[in-house]
Amino acid sequence: MKILVAVKQVSVLDDEFEMRDDGRDVDEDFFEKDLNEFDHFAVEEALLIKEASGGEAEVVIVTVGDDDADDALRTALAKGAERGVRVWDDSLVDADSVTIAKVLAKVVEREDPDMVFTGAQSVDFGHAATGMALAGLLGWPHAAVVSKLDFKPGDENATIHRELEGGLEEIMSVTCPAVLSIQLGINQPRYASLRGIRQARQKPVDELDLSDLGLSAETVKAASRVRRMYAPERGQAEIIEGSVAEQAARLAEIVKELRGA
Amino acid sequence: MIGTEHDPQEVTRILFRDFPLWMMVVFYMAAVCALGSFAYGTYAQIRKYRRGVRSGAWSPFVERFVGMVRDVLSHRTVKRRDTSAGIAHAWIFFGFGLLFIGTSVITLEYDILGPLTGLTFWHGRFYLVFSLILDVAGVGLIGALLYMMYRRKWLGLPKLDYARPDRIPEDPDYDRSFYRREDWAFLWILILIAVTGYILEASRLVWLQHDATVWDYRWWSPFGAIIAHFLQAVGVGSEGGAEFRMGLWWFHGLLAFAFIGLIPYTKVKHIFTAMGSLMARDPDAKCHLPMADVDEEKIGFSELTDFTDKYLLNFDACTKCGRCHEACPANAAGYPLSPRDLVLSLRELADDKLSDVRLPEGPIEICGDGVNQIRPETLWSCRTCGACTEICPVGVEHLPMIVQMRRALIEEGEFDPVLQPTLRSLQKSGNALGESRRKRPRWTRKLDFAIKDARAEPVEMLWYVGDYASFDPRSQKVTIAFAEILHEAGVDFGILNEDEQTAANDVRRIGEEGLFQAIAEANIELLAECDFKSIVTTDPHTFNTIKNEYPELGGTYRIEHASAVLERLIREGTIQIPKNLSYRVTYHDPCHLGRLNNGFEPPRHVLSELGADLVEMPRSKDNSFCCGAGGGRIWLPEPPELQKPAEIRVQEAAEIGGLDVLVVNCPKCLNMMEDGVKGSGNENNFRIMELIELVAEAMTAGKPGQDDGAQEAVEVA
Repeated sequence: MKILVAVKQVSVLDDEFEMRDDGRDVDEDFFEKDLNEFDHFAVEEALLIKEASGGEAEVVIVTVGDDDADDALRTALAKGAERGVRVWDDSLVDADSVTIAKVLAKVVEREDPDMVFTGAQSVDFGHAATGMALAGLLGWPHAAVVSKLDFKPGDENATIHRELEGGLEEIMSVTCPAVLSIQLGINQPRYASLRGIRQARQKPVDELDLSDLGLSAETVKAASRVRRMYAPERGQAEIIEGSVAEQAARLAEIVKELRGA
Repeated sequence: MIGTEHDPQEVTRILFRDFPLWMMVVFYMAAVCALGSFAYGTYAQIRKYRRGVRSGAWSPFVERFVGMVRDVLSHRTVKRRDTSAGIAHAWIFFGFGLLFIGTSVITLEYDILGPLTGLTFWHGRFYLVFSLILDVAGVGLIGALLYMMYRRKWLGLPKLDYARPDRIPEDPDYDRSFYRREDWAFLWILILIAVTGYILEASRLVWLQHDATVWDYRWWSPFGAIIAHFLQAVGVGSEGGAEFRMGLWWFHGLLAFAFIGLIPYTKVKHIFTAMGSLMARDPDAKCHLPMADVDEEKIGFSELTDFTDKYLLNFDACTKCGRCHEACPANAAGYPLSPRDLVLSLRELADDKLSDVRLPEGPIEICGDGVNQIRPETLWSCRTCGACTEICPVGVEHLPMIVQMRRALIEEGEFDPVLQPTLRSLQKSGNALGESRRKRPRWTRKLDFAIKDARAEPVEMLWYVGDYASFDPRSQKVTIAFAEILHEAGVDFGILNEDEQTAANDVRRIGEEGLFQAIAEANIELLAECDFKSIVTTDPHTFNTIKNEYPELGGTYRIEHASAVLERLIREGTIQIPKNLSYRVTYHDPCHLGRLNNGFEPPRHVLSELGADLVEMPRSKDNSFCCGAGGGRIWLPEPPELQKPAEIRVQEAAEIGGLDVLVVNCPKCLNMMEDGVKGSGNENNFRIMELIELVAEAMTAGKPGQDDGAQEAVEVA
């Protein structure tokens, strides 16, 4: 029994920042890197299943990222996962969710897990697409924003709860293997002490490149690209007071101002 | 006076006169039983202690032994904060000690030296002088024991109430009434031994009233003689005295043997355990936490056998005097922690699990809900203010024990989830407030001058700003004021800007040792690249860890707290104080500056230089009452149903009356007291101000053209 958890090292933005020269992202000096908040819950869910089964499951953490992403991977390993897989190739710099899913699908083929967990979304880009795309590529069932999970090693089906609009709760059953995107609050993630993170350096991590997975730079070319990223000027609102005539005059003034600009 | 009708050398202590052989046999058998019981009990206790991890805390032996003897003879630690109990204890200690020595000397002569060498000395003037001393010692002993009984029975001291704040009355171990009974049994057995000793002495005198070698010398035992005359007056004759003497002799003797035999099994053992504990005492236990190898398999104490032999001895040294119980801010505010009860729980756990010939199978878990187990919420209640460890008369080191147990809890994730974002922020950004590294020096933007970048150019004084002083909006005002004072005084100083991380004092105290070491090592590496003569900080927590804990990690610096720098600058005339502040103030000693590092005087000198009228609170200096922020508690919310330690402290200040300012000297105290002054409804009665703000006010107030209000100056600052 094996659970594969896909995690991401995200960028946490400072409250003051500058854009990169090409205007397609924030200058990385203004980022701090961290394990994606949602992924803490996905890892915890996998560990809880393992622990409830008396350790009958292996939890493998996979991430797509450069050396920097090791910190996120080690944090997840420190919580109690058995081993890690990190895939990187410079051609993945501009990867989008679907490209990442293509890479992950190859890792899934290689690892042959019984379940794959991802976070419901990443806190930096928020596409919430990687898990779904991965399930599509694998031809597995997928459930998004899973808020409760009933599954133990050996089960053919997993029962999941999902929160819907209007406070509705949906209970569904999926056949395994499946890809589940885990929502915040499903559990109380444990803390990885710094000592634990350091000691997680002893845990085995497979470092793979595209060729190890039978992929090439061509096959992982992103079909979408960021054209521009910028902070739009703040919108303004003004409550116009006074008599109807005064209000009309002010309104006309604003219209002129905006047209002039 | 020694008469002339007989050889003065015949004057001696009557021991076994008129004893038939069987009595002698019974007596010596009883003695052997008592000593056997004592010896086995002592062995079993030592075996218990040795089941802990070896600490080597008793070396260098001679030096530590001499120090312990000095402490014991002076009763320095026992007298602190409870002089009458200390003096009474001294009478018991010396009275009991002298009487014990007297008896031992008799044994030495009668049973060992005499039979072996024929040498005897227990007669003549030596005997008489000794007899007089013992008589006086006995009266002192009885008087002190009576006082102790009075104290327990009638003074109603809360610190002698063993009911536990971490248990409810329904719990089996709630009131620890066993200890109360033991206390009384101890006092009664001692007083009975002493009193029967006198009556025995008097009976012997009456019995031998016709023997000049006894009767003529009776006033060398004045109290015995008085009782003897009293016995005569009520009609007891020589024969009656003989009968009395025989009965009392056995009663007194067997009681004394029982006492000796019971020493290792009862609180009496504190005679030895307290000495051993005092010998092993680490004078820095309150300010310097034990180092741990973070690469080891495990960290901290989760099982009883993780404790060192010294700590296991500490448990048995505790005499339940309650000084720590009384000093603990968590206990005072109703949190489920009393340092005394913590130690007693561990003692009982050790007695239960480590006393048998074989250790129980499997680990002996410390934390849990079982009887004698420590509950995690007890450990999380601690503020690491060091009040318990500092006041303990027998050298129990509660603080490092608590942090060691916290280390294990952190590793197991057994803590309030609220703490997790804080710890993750510390891992990610090096501060506890969830702020980015880049934001750290942002407070400097409010200055109209630039502070030197200590990373880029040499400075005289490197200012280690610290977390709260950098980010907390209220503390930032103080930080800015301090920058302006240093600037005004022409001090060559600089800061580390966004590369500064927390000094991690509280990270270590919350129990995240791995993170502490990682941050401290990064800081030391950074400081090694900077060129400076000394470090200054406004934060006592930063001060403490850099001063006391960084050297072990390879960073040794000259470091001063801001209050010491201000005191020096004022004394040297670098800072001019043109105006006296005629405030009535009181001063709250921050634990980490005061109790932990003896920084009591500089802030008080500054206040006196400012012309402030300083009125001390009942608890000040070493007995200062923690604001509640320490040990990482500032990161955890206080349950609304409990009073905050800061509120208790502000209330204590409010009782002074007519107060203008409660002066604090620490960013965390400032944060807590600002809360406490509101929570206790005192915000309209007096203000909370940092010492630095008062100095800034006095400096600015006197300047021409700026005399329109000190308050405004502080606001601007």
